[in-house]
Amino acid sequence: MNPEEIVEKFKSKFGAGVLDAKVQTKSGGVSKTQYHFVWMTLERPLLKDAVRFLASEWQPHLSVISGVDLGNILELTYHFTVGWGVRLGEIPVSIRIDLPKDDLTVPTITDIIPGALITEREKQEMLGIKVIGIPDARRLFVPETFPEGVYPWRKDATGVQPEHVKKLWEVGRLKLTPTGQGVAVNVEKAAAPSAPAKKENAGAN
Amino acid sequence: MSGGAEYSVPVGPIHAALEEPVLFNFKVDGERVVDVEVVPGQNHRGVEWMGMQRNPVQVIYLAEKICGICTVCHAYSFVRAVEHISGIESTPRADYIRAILAELERMHSHLLWAGIAAHEIGFDSLLHYTWKVRENEMDLREMITGNRVHYDMFMIGGVRRDIKQDQIPKILETLKYYKDNFEKLGKLFLQDKVIKMRTQGVGVLTKEDALKLCAVGPTARASGVPKDVRQDQPFGAYLDIPVKAITPDALTGEVHGDVYDRIIVRLLEVKQSIEIIEECLKRMPEGPILAEPNITRLLIQLKKAHGEGIGRHEAPRGEVYHYVRMDASDKVTAWKVRAPTYANVMPWVPMLKGQQIADIPIVAASTDPCMSCTDRAVVVKEGQKPYMISGEELHKMSVEKTRRMMA
Amino acid sequence: MNGMDILMAVIGSVLVMLFGIFFGLVFKGIDRVLSARMQARIGPRVRQPFWDVGKLFSKENIIPENAVKWMFSSAPVLGLASSAVMLLYLPLGPLAPVLQGHGDIILMLYLLVIPSLAMVTGGFASGSPYAAVGAQREMVMMMSYEFPLAAVVVSIAWKLNVFGIANPFSITSIASNPIWMNSGILGIIGSAILLVVLIIVTPAELSKIPFDAPEAETEIVGGLLAEYSGRNLGIFYLADAVKTIVMGALLVAIFFPWGIAGIVGLAAGSVGAIAADIAFFLLKLFLVLFVSVTVIRTSFARLKIDQIVYTYWAPLTIAALFGLVLIIWDLNLLGIEWYPQVLGGW
Repeated sequence: MNPEEIVEKFKSKFGAGVLDAKVQTKSGGVSKTQYHFVWMTLERPLLKDAVRFLASEWQPHLSVISGVDLGNILELTYHFTVGWGVRLGEIPVSIRIDLPKDDLTVPTITDIIPGALITEREKQEMLGIKVIGIPDARRLFVPETFPEGVYPWRKDATGVQPEHVKKLWEVGRLKLTPTGQGVAVNVEKAAAPSAPAKKENAGAN
Repeated sequence: MSGGAEYSVPVGPIHAALEEPVLFNFKVDGERVVDVEVVPGQNHRGVEWMGMQRNPVQVIYLAEKICGICTVCHAYSFVRAVEHISGIESTPRADYIRAILAELERMHSHLLWAGIAAHEIGFDSLLHYTWKVRENEMDLREMITGNRVHYDMFMIGGVRRDIKQDQIPKILETLKYYKDNFEKLGKLFLQDKVIKMRTQGVGVLTKEDALKLCAVGPTARASGVPKDVRQDQPFGAYLDIPVKAITPDALTGEVHGDVYDRIIVRLLEVKQSIEIIEECLKRMPEGPILAEPNITRLLIQLKKAHGEGIGRHEAPRGEVYHYVRMDASDKVTAWKVRAPTYANVMPWVPMLKGQQIADIPIVAASTDPCMSCTDRAVVVKEGQKPYMISGEELHKMSVEKTRRMMA
Repeated sequence: MNGMDILMAVIGSVLVMLFGIFFGLVFKGIDRVLSARMQARIGPRVRQPFWDVGKLFSKENIIPENAVKWMFSSAPVLGLASSAVMLLYLPLGPLAPVLQGHGDIILMLYLLVIPSLAMVTGGFASGSPYAAVGAQREMVMMMSYEFPLAAVVVSIAWKLNVFGIANPFSITSIASNPIWMNSGILGIIGSAILLVVLIIVTPAELSKIPFDAPEAETEIVGGLLAEYSGRNLGIFYLADAVKTIVMGALLVAIFFPWGIAGIVGLAAGSVGAIAADIAFFLLKLFLVLFVSVTVIRTSFARLKIDQIVYTYWAPLTIAALFGLVLIIWDLNLLGIEWYPQVLGGW
């Protein structure tokens, strides 16, 4: 399998839907053997068909979905690899779609590749996109206490603002307060936590 | 054991069986796991966000700190991605040094894992033996790079330290030590009756599930998926030295996809790594180790770089995938890190369902989730009182040692 | 029993309990050092368990909110008390049991269950899923190792009964008539099998690897003991130390009851003889425990609970019954004239 073949197949299947396609060739070692990467930009509605086509033609492995905030648009890139299992046979195929900021929705591909769930959940919380039909829409890496409407990888007003960034040396150690919910409570020395507070008062006086 | 009411057992975020914070919520019936939910993100550090505030050279050091064990993998992948964007090519000698480092790391990582796996099933003697064997390799890396972990060897366009001629005999000697000990290790792990009882038929991941859930690394290979970046899309020195993905049928003729198969794959990979390092040392060309030794000129060149690149590397745990985008600015525009454990989170579910509670630790550990090993602060000297070294002293000692080595 | 006897029994009990705790902790220390050396480690100092206990007693004692408090707190005391009571029925080298003539080996079988039951009670009372899983496992394990243990005891008592010894179930009788006596070659093989069975039952009684499923720290983070801390955990630790000595003393009493004083020529009953016998007893005790605890726990991985049940119910029960059968054959054959001469008797 060669990279041009993959691009050709996509072009003959989707025609003008393939907005841009390029093959990146690199080499290395003493032998300077070459290897290739395929990059394609598709029209947004074609995403699901393209993944389905990829899955029917080759046996793709989804590595990850990456996303970049480019101002007016969010660029999502689905990184697949095809042709693995043979020496020098594998080619990473990256399929990109652009999402305008006013409509950040994308269909799920978990029905074709179930393993995409993790990375789709991550894109939801990190980029603020909405994956339509995702089987599990909960947060993945970002904690429950993280504020709503803040998306760490965005570079606009919904991204991480300077006030979100805490410098460890400014914040100091967290002062823990007991919640009493299922937390082990010290029966014998229940009065102990109040002792340091008194000391502080004494110092102030 | 069935018929009882189901109840839930949480494992994590902090649990004796886990080396990193992650939470498993188990639904259990008697001793049998009915359902499991994996909740990662107990300690998300926002490394990718931090990377997007830095220039590419600074990100290398950040990438190395993603993981204490996969230091090489993340730095290698990131450096490759940036090299693809900027067009700076690493020198052939650097390619070989990179491969040697990567394989040393694989050896140590697999041995570390083997020890952890033995500990998870309560076989502490094997843990101590494996880690004792691993020490030699740690010393070797200290000799080559100056550090046992986090060796900061990678630079865009090459590596930062050369492997000198007088270091090669020591490397060969260590490799010989491993070859001599390999048979014994293999026998201990693969012939022991109790290890067989605890690992065969446990935590099975079928080939279909491995493909469907995008498993990578030894986890996928043990299920019979011959996927290895060094074979599929080789890079650097691997373009000259052929590597074959190892599946358990190489030893037993069968693929079961259980924990035992994952032990086989990792042990065989240790042997494979020894062979690759020997081959690298034989073929290593002379020449510079950096394409652009002047860091200022390198940064200027990187500032002009524009485009996107993919950096891949076969880490001990599986494929590491870095996507980098640079837009002719002093910062990295986008950086997505896909560590192997990220891809191996979902395969945990079919592996753990239907197992016993007793199998949870070994099955969870069998994908080798990423861990950190940085405890070097306690020094015990035989015959003397044990004493502790503080962080400041350790830093001072490191600086002194580096000076000694530079001299 | 008159007043003096009761007073002596009380003083004796206290002394025996202190003996059990002290040497239990000493053995734990030796066990840790030897195990470490076998694993090419340095290991802690022998006195480390004493420091551990001291530390545990000085730490705060946390009782979980959703625990059944009185049960949770009384379980460790029950465990330690029942372990110590067992010592009162066992001969400690030259010293006769404090409660001699008041109980027999059947009572021991019941008493051996109580520390485990105390831990199960404590586990269920702690209101933690880990402890609950551990408690379930402990109960399953108790049921599984009782069977080979009972088979061993029955074999010994049966043999004593055949020889017409009064009170065949009394531990003193068992100790003064070692099982190896009056045996042909088959009897010695049978007795050796029983010894091996009892050695393998010991780690399960003590919840040591490979039979530590109820406490498995990598699976259920200490299981039964997951919620225990401070003084309560310290008492359980002591109970474990005492129970270790109990199991060792039981093994010694049944299989190796001989003293050394007569052999080295010390007059029976003299202070020197008693001291030598106590030292020899401790040596035997530590050797037996070294084999059944240290060596086994260092050379095996942990078994799963279903594998433990299988191990005790199938191979070990069969082995114990086979040992019994060999002893029966042996005694029947001893009646035949040629057998002791051909195969050698004792």
